[in-house]
Amino acid sequence: MIADATPASKKPSSFEVRVLRQDAPGEPGYWERHQITYEPNLNVISVLQKIAALSTTADGKSTTPVAWDCNCLEEVCGACTMLVNGRTRQACSALVDRLLEDNPAGIELQPMSKFPVLRDLVVDRTRMYRALERVKAWIPVDGYGDRGAGPKESQEGQEVRYPLSECMTCGCCVEACPQFAKVELFQRSDESDAEFAERKNRAYDQAFIGAAAISQAILFNEHPTGHMNADERLEALSAPGGLQVCGNAQNCVAVCPKNIPLTTSIARAGRQLTGYMFRKFFDR
Amino acid sequence: MPVGFRAKDMTRVQDSPPSFLVRHEFLIRRLHSLSGLVPVGAFMCVHLLVNASVLESPAAFQKNVYQIHSLGSLLPVVEWVFIFIPILFHAIIGVVIVMGGIPNTGNYPYAANRRYTLQRVTGMIAFVFIAIHVFHMHGWIHQDTWLEKVVRPLGGAEFHPYSAASSAGLALQSYVMVAIYLIGVLACVFHLANGIWTMGITWGVWISPKAQKRASNVCAIFGLLLAIVGVGALFGMRADGAGERLIEARQVEDKMYEHKLESGELKPNEHKRGGGEVTKSEETSQVSVE
Repeated sequence: MIADATPASKKPSSFEVRVLRQDAPGEPGYWERHQITYEPNLNVISVLQKIAALSTTADGKSTTPVAWDCNCLEEVCGACTMLVNGRTRQACSALVDRLLEDNPAGIELQPMSKFPVLRDLVVDRTRMYRALERVKAWIPVDGYGDRGAGPKESQEGQEVRYPLSECMTCGCCVEACPQFAKVELFQRSDESDAEFAERKNRAYDQAFIGAAAISQAILFNEHPTGHMNADERLEALSAPGGLQVCGNAQNCVAVCPKNIPLTTSIARAGRQLTGYMFRKFFDR
Repeated sequence: MPVGFRAKDMTRVQDSPPSFLVRHEFLIRRLHSLSGLVPVGAFMCVHLLVNASVLESPAAFQKNVYQIHSLGSLLPVVEWVFIFIPILFHAIIGVVIVMGGIPNTGNYPYAANRRYTLQRVTGMIAFVFIAIHVFHMHGWIHQDTWLEKVVRPLGGAEFHPYSAASSAGLALQSYVMVAIYLIGVLACVFHLANGIWTMGITWGVWISPKAQKRASNVCAIFGLLLAIVGVGALFGMRADGAGERLIEARQVEDKMYEHKLESGELKPNEHKRGGGEVTKSEETSQVSVE
């Protein structure tokens, strides 16, 4: 239906796809050109499937299939997040007809630039999940005993929190963030897997936590039961690499595919931390 | 997009224990945010407003300068504690912050992102400009050997508080200086106005997108007004540094100085009084006044 907006005469018979490939972690990237036969209603995932089927570059050389990640194919899992024409988004909801309208020369695909590349367009987003652990983005409900009903939830509170709960941890917000720098470590030969994981977590814990985790901390701080652990989350948000690293460029909210009010969460976290800072200093 | 852009990515990965700056990052960043408004931003507003009083008359400006200098020997202490040290703190932490950022307006050309980059660019311009400006007018440190052997030969310490408008006006005659001051003042004004807006988010004053929009409008108006004050002050000062108006300014400054000497309010101070080229040119006019 969207493709029909373009007159048939304007549709190309084929288009070029440039992919930034990388064979293994830490190796240099290289560009590869692919020529794809045009079909209406393609998305970037179907383009990648065509590239895999061809396994031949635009110059006619045989090549390995481009590796990529995907799962739900309806923009709710975040697995296929990559840079399409330089901007971060999900490949599944990136429609070729639209992309060619904006840039008839072709499509450029790159892996996300803020996460370690595993291969081609596949990146390791462990740091996103580690950030959720840092702010304890959950509600602790332990024990087997029945502790009765929890605190009442207001309609207003629910309406504030619902949009925040839509986060799929795709990483678009931090990819577009000028304050979020890539952290990539490599396993040493004398290091066990567990030691390496621990060293990686230490590095992640000092680096900027990012908008997604800040917003999740607010989601659970605003929850009537989650509020009971609010100070622990605020402590994490004021640790090195916390909220203070935010530079208010507000790219996060502009690129979020789920339209989550991330900058509202950031400002709300700022207000909670202002209060927490004074309470911590004068109440101790 | 070249592949090489990855090389710019910065990581703080290290096995050594975190540095002082990292351990106290939250407090330092909040102090940085606060110091931008109080005292640095507040001082800048007062400074530009006082300077703009030259548009009223050189006498009005001179009166304000005398008021500031009535602090006497306390003035350098106030200067260092409330102005120079906070500016240095704000500037040095600012450089650290700038080095930790990876501006990306190319791929994400949104208004707020452009302001993010501009905030960093104007901050760096402001740092350099303030260093030049304080050297040019004040000389950085008021120590005789330093002033005579280094500052004056390089064209610094041109402002003489007891000959306020005329000495500042004379120092602003070259086009290069006016250009430096124009760029510097506008960079400082943008940096303050936009900084107040981001500060409101940092401390959690304006939260919703609507409130942030309203706040950014108010900050824009504030910035525009302050820019008018600043540019007005610059060109008002410059106008009093040449021709008839220079002679008139010198006359009124002389009268005020003589009066203060006579009443015993002031002791003669050649350093604050200045001299040089101006004195010669208006010696004749002084004769005619007498």
